[in-house]
Amino acid sequence: MKASFTLSFATVAALAVSAVHADEWGTIKGKFVFGGAAPTATELKADKDVEVCGKHKLLAEELVVAADKGIANVVVFVRDKGVKVHPDLATPGDKVVLDNKDCRFEPHVAVVRTGQTLVIRNSDSVGHNSNVATIKNSPSNNLIPAGGEATVTFASEEAIPAQVTCNIHPWMKSWLVVRPNPYATVSKADGSFEIKNVPAGGEIELQIWHEKAGYVGEVTVSGKAEKIAKGRKKVKVAAGDNDLGEMVLDANLFKK
Amino acid sequence: MTPETMPRRSSIAFAGLIVCLAALTGCGKTPPAYFRPNMVEATKQRLTPDQEKQVATILLAMFGTPDEPVCLPETGLDEAKLRLAAGPVRSDIVGRKNGLYREHCGHCHGVTGDALGPTAAFLNPYPRDYRPGVFKFKSTERADKPTHADLVRVLHKGIPGTSMPSFALLPAAQVDALAEYVKYLSIRGETELTLMRAYFELDDEAQGSLPETREFLIDETLVTVADKWKAAADAEIQVPPMPADIDLVASIAKGKELFYGDKANCVKCHGVTGLGDGQANDYDDWNKAIVEIGKELSSGSAAARETSTSGMSPDELSEHRAQLAWLDKFGRVLDGDALEPRTIPPRNLRHGIYRGGRRPIDLYYRIHAGINGAPMPAAKGTVPPEEIWHIVNYVRSLPYELDGELGADKPMLARDRF
Repeated sequence: MKASFTLSFATVAALAVSAVHADEWGTIKGKFVFGGAAPTATELKADKDVEVCGKHKLLAEELVVAADKGIANVVVFVRDKGVKVHPDLATPGDKVVLDNKDCRFEPHVAVVRTGQTLVIRNSDSVGHNSNVATIKNSPSNNLIPAGGEATVTFASEEAIPAQVTCNIHPWMKSWLVVRPNPYATVSKADGSFEIKNVPAGGEIELQIWHEKAGYVGEVTVSGKAEKIAKGRKKVKVAAGDNDLGEMVLDANLFKK
Repeated sequence: MTPETMPRRSSIAFAGLIVCLAALTGCGKTPPAYFRPNMVEATKQRLTPDQEKQVATILLAMFGTPDEPVCLPETGLDEAKLRLAAGPVRSDIVGRKNGLYREHCGHCHGVTGDALGPTAAFLNPYPRDYRPGVFKFKSTERADKPTHADLVRVLHKGIPGTSMPSFALLPAAQVDALAEYVKYLSIRGETELTLMRAYFELDDEAQGSLPETREFLIDETLVTVADKWKAAADAEIQVPPMPADIDLVASIAKGKELFYGDKANCVKCHGVTGLGDGQANDYDDWNKAIVEIGKELSSGSAAARETSTSGMSPDELSEHRAQLAWLDKFGRVLDGDALEPRTIPPRNLRHGIYRGGRRPIDLYYRIHAGINGAPMPAAKGTVPPEEIWHIVNYVRSLPYELDGELGADKPMLARDRF
């Protein structure tokens, strides 16, 4: 009895291991490019705690376009609810830090997984508060004293990114993406993004969002415009790299 | 007056007289009351007329009408109390007053609890809109619902400094029924919001229609909303009592230090004078929602004006027209279903008027948990209980601070102080 139990256990374990090996995973990458003359960021006026916040050059971050027209802070995530998760990513990382630094939020768009801890930190010498306007999760608004921190966790995902603001310093705005899986990212300063270890061999649905454009309704790839209703783009994922190329987002999309 | 207009005027007067007589004799039947749909959210979510209709149908089945409320067991509400509060003002068969909500609350908070009653626009602050399920003055953590006792307390005491009166003269059973009915309207409103937001998350296969299954409508939607109310019953903040041997003068001094210090940071909004003049341009959540829609609307209209229709493909043209129609609809919805947004001033702490109650524990709750829906953040976790009590003591001393340079013996206007 005992022997057979051990044997069957070993078989199951072996099967599980082989199942993992049989799976293939792909990387989705691409780059968002601004279709139009790159806008210049307006300077924000720090009218509270001027002696500290006034020292920093604060720029509006609602639309950040690089010199080569790459668009930063575009949110991309895999929308499929039951998407298979790569075993290396099964448990969420330790924590995500959202810092109140130089009288702005760093990063401007933070990505957190359900069950993961968000640490809201204050590296400034003035007190802040962080008003997290989640919809499905209980919203929170904690005082974060100079050098202090607060932790927030999220039980459910958010369909749209939640705004995080500081009521003491009204120019401070950032966004929080809460997803139930690890397949979510934000484009870097050069507009590029990468989502690793997505299950290959099928089709997944990407959701593309930007704070100024909302759900991006149209992307142009190699001169060909593609309508993507509600910012949802279906992508076939093969093992290895899946480069979506340069996706041009027309300037008009951001005039909302 | 020309002779030509004479007969017309008198005929209008005559028609008016007929209408008045009809009203007096009661030959016209009062139309049944109805819940107003949340058109601001419906338009924001770009719901189609069919989707608006689906939400209305689901809500009718779940909650009934203002005259005939439906009380599903999942709401955890007491049907007998709802019946006492619902419907037109009347006496029932045993001579008991019914229709309490419409008698006492509806003219400001609206039949729907949407704060769009006929008097709402004339009040400052505006009455509470129950539909987002957010309440300010309570004994629970910031994002939690109020307890039943919290609602009863607000009804009993009223909200000083606002138009909300005290209903202390009503029998306890009536106040109790009204508190229950407020919960009913709030659960209904929050369910409506949840349903309207759910369309966005539908997959393409759903073809824009919410699943009308028990699992989705009851288990995922209604229960999620109602359970937050049930949870509030046990969620009262445990407040360690103020140390009995506390040295009040020393405590006030410590509270003052905290008030102006970087940890509690009260000064940033309530101002160096404590007059509430530190942060004058913030909005509460209800008004902020309207402000943000207004911004979207004006930038959307500006973008639409700049767009040239020449060279558009038929598809692009119809999309452009749909956008114009949406902007136009949103403008009308805001005119009819939203009040002009107002900023929220931080409380002037030298008046001695405390909206959420003047007991020390009321101030403790406000500082510990912050104020839900308002910019006031929670000090919980940052400021330990003993220090919160110091701040409470300092705040309670502010209206009577006589020796300081900003004392009550000095002019109360900020401009006179500098």
